[in-house]
Amino acid sequence: MAPTTTMKPIPTDGFPTPTSSAQAETVKVLLEHFVAESSVPNLQKNAHMQFLMRNLSQGFPQRYTSQDASQPWLMYWTLQAFSVLQVGLDPGNKQNAIDTIMASQHPDGGFGGGPKQAAHLLPTYASVCALAIAGRPGAGGGWDQINRDQMYKFFMSLKQPDGSFLVAHHSEVDVRGIYCLLVVATMLDIITPELVEGTAEFIASCQTYEGGFSSASQPYYAPSNSDKPTLLGSPRPALGEAHGGYTFCALASWVLLQPFLPSTSTKINKKALVRWLVQMQGAPVELGGFKGRTNKLVDGCYSWWVGGAFGLLESVGIDPAAVSSSVRSDTQAEDGDWDDVDDSLLNRKALQEYILFAGQHPAGGLRDKPPKPADSYHTLYCLAGLSSAQHRVFPSAARRRDLLDSWTDTVDGGDQEAEAKENALRKRIFVEALSYTQEEGTETVVGGAVNRVNATHPIFNLTITHSDAMMAHFYGQVLPPRTLQRPAQT
Amino acid sequence: MPAPETAAPAKLKYAERPEWADVEPLQQYEIANPLAPILYSEEYKDATDYLRGIVKAGERSERVLELTEHVIRLNPAHYSAWQYRYETLVALSAPLDVELKLMDEFADKHLKTYQVWHHRRLLLLLTRKPAPELALIARILQRDEKNYHTWAHRQWLLAFFNEPSLWEGELDFVDTMMNKDVRNNSVWHHRFFVVFQSGVREGEEDRERILKRELIYVKQNISLAPNNASAWNYLRGVLEHTRQPFGSLAAFVQPYTVPLPASTTDIVDLENPPPGRDADLPCAAAIEFLADVYEERGGADNVDKAVELWRSLANEHDTIRKKYWEWRIREALATSS
Repeated sequence: MAPTTTMKPIPTDGFPTPTSSAQAETVKVLLEHFVAESSVPNLQKNAHMQFLMRNLSQGFPQRYTSQDASQPWLMYWTLQAFSVLQVGLDPGNKQNAIDTIMASQHPDGGFGGGPKQAAHLLPTYASVCALAIAGRPGAGGGWDQINRDQMYKFFMSLKQPDGSFLVAHHSEVDVRGIYCLLVVATMLDIITPELVEGTAEFIASCQTYEGGFSSASQPYYAPSNSDKPTLLGSPRPALGEAHGGYTFCALASWVLLQPFLPSTSTKINKKALVRWLVQMQGAPVELGGFKGRTNKLVDGCYSWWVGGAFGLLESVGIDPAAVSSSVRSDTQAEDGDWDDVDDSLLNRKALQEYILFAGQHPAGGLRDKPPKPADSYHTLYCLAGLSSAQHRVFPSAARRRDLLDSWTDTVDGGDQEAEAKENALRKRIFVEALSYTQEEGTETVVGGAVNRVNATHPIFNLTITHSDAMMAHFYGQVLPPRTLQRPAQT
Repeated sequence: MPAPETAAPAKLKYAERPEWADVEPLQQYEIANPLAPILYSEEYKDATDYLRGIVKAGERSERVLELTEHVIRLNPAHYSAWQYRYETLVALSAPLDVELKLMDEFADKHLKTYQVWHHRRLLLLLTRKPAPELALIARILQRDEKNYHTWAHRQWLLAFFNEPSLWEGELDFVDTMMNKDVRNNSVWHHRFFVVFQSGVREGEEDRERILKRELIYVKQNISLAPNNASAWNYLRGVLEHTRQPFGSLAAFVQPYTVPLPASTTDIVDLENPPPGRDADLPCAAAIEFLADVYEERGGADNVDKAVELWRSLANEHDTIRKKYWEWRIREALATSS
């Protein structure tokens, strides 16, 4: 079909380079998959479920050997994709999942990429999240068999003087590992000021001049009078350019570190971050998918890593809905109903179209882009991106109040002052993490209700139900019921 | 996906080799029916069974190097095998030049794997000989110009060893890569790292001169291909880093915000190189830049001009980001009123 008039080609200024040539080829393939805005395909839920189920019951084909050190990820991607598709597992498969995940717990703390592999921060996140979905409290349920004391020791053993963490012993530092560590420590109630000292400064140092974040930064030290050399604030160069995956991990880490940050401490450049995030959305000829770096190609997985990152902006004080309605009417007068309720900064409609037109493999499962095959990783991150483009999940003041009201302190009978301080911090961490609430009535589902998927927690990438249940267990809290949250009338 | 390679084709399985008879192979799972198992090849299963056995026994020996190499060749992302290999190399005081040579081959074959690059880094921390590394990295980058790990590895090497001789050829290297593809954002990031983020080196103390040099560099590249987001991001980065007002570039940017004139003059203006004859104008990044100039200047008239430009982006030149441009308008109006 002929592209619509809004579909301008990507300008090349009569100066082709390898980047623009690769870009042109991709656009050509994407446009072949674009039918018409008026005939958006359905989300092939059944085909995707079959794809996921096949891997789960029959096993992953031999080419997945490259993921042998990421087995908890294969499990998490599969289980969470089911959750987004609104599918639960039967008790037998759930138990099997729990037993399989627990086989990768390392005796010295943390989880490995498979049984008898070394512990590593990435599979530790994947294991704990998979347990949030499939597990339960009590004997054999997984949750109470997580060795939290050993896990904390494992985390501390990875800590570096610049506030960062190795992903595993003798391994690299990068912000993915820090995100994984902070999510797990937050969910399991083992996060402490000692654990995260200096981590926010490290995260901030990974922000590049483009506004997004890189994998890591290089610390420099000056000798000092004490045994410990002094860490220099500058130079502390970012290693690698701004990147979608690292940016999501850095931003989500930044949000999780908020309870530990004095208001005057290190800052990130939010304005530059927002600009970078919106610049990652591809043009109409790229069907509005997201790319992971400047001048790279769109890829379905960035639907979540970049598209999903927009769901964290309100938590760092960027709230497009906050600007007064009188100013808004000036610019949105001629727009339809959709735009009246949509305050997001990304083009949610276009992102959904990319996933539906280009992200779905005809044989089931989702993918980077055509003509690539589907895989578990892209299946989850396309679906999670679709979810974040459909739903507004926001830190709700009402939910925060309910959680504060229902909170009960843990009393161990130790030093009262220390205990009070500890409880106050735990309360804040708990309340902030679980204040995320799905706003009812503002879904923007392209292709109609049949394409609707579940909402997912913008930090954890678990459903709200799974996040609630696991954190309530580890913090020893009884949660107040969730009520429907309608958007505030202005 | 390429078929897994074999370290030694037609070699017997470890289970059939008498020199491995003293090792007790360890199965991966002790539970009967793990969910979602990977259907490994016999060779992979055999090798990893023996790796698990060796790790459990804590053995450090030559044959551990053979076994870990085998496993890594079958799955270069097996970080536990890498970790165990590294500890074994150290325990045996194995010759590191031999290991680095092997790693040269791995860097070529598995350049997208984290572990390959990190293992090199661990070895370089022991050998402390960074110099030959730059040529190898350059060679890999010829093949995969945007490889994230490779660029990050180069930046680590320069920043960590921080020897003047290492930095010497870096801007020339940037130019070489830039000439291949002016839209390669990794190269732009590398330039920013070298010029602004890694300290001030000898001969670069005059920061005014450096700023001028960088502005000329980026302006010429914008003139060559105006719709290049990497170059505009670099320009913004330089100005913000050196705290220069965006307005200082208004005269340069203006011609890029309007359609190409029918006739172009042939006056060469080094300060403000004009768009080339094939430029696709107006350029959205230039319009955005000019709007920022007006917003920076402040005052109702200037904000109005900025709003007009943002509106043209929202409704015509950059419609995919309509929501963002409308937000910029609301923000600017809210702060100015």
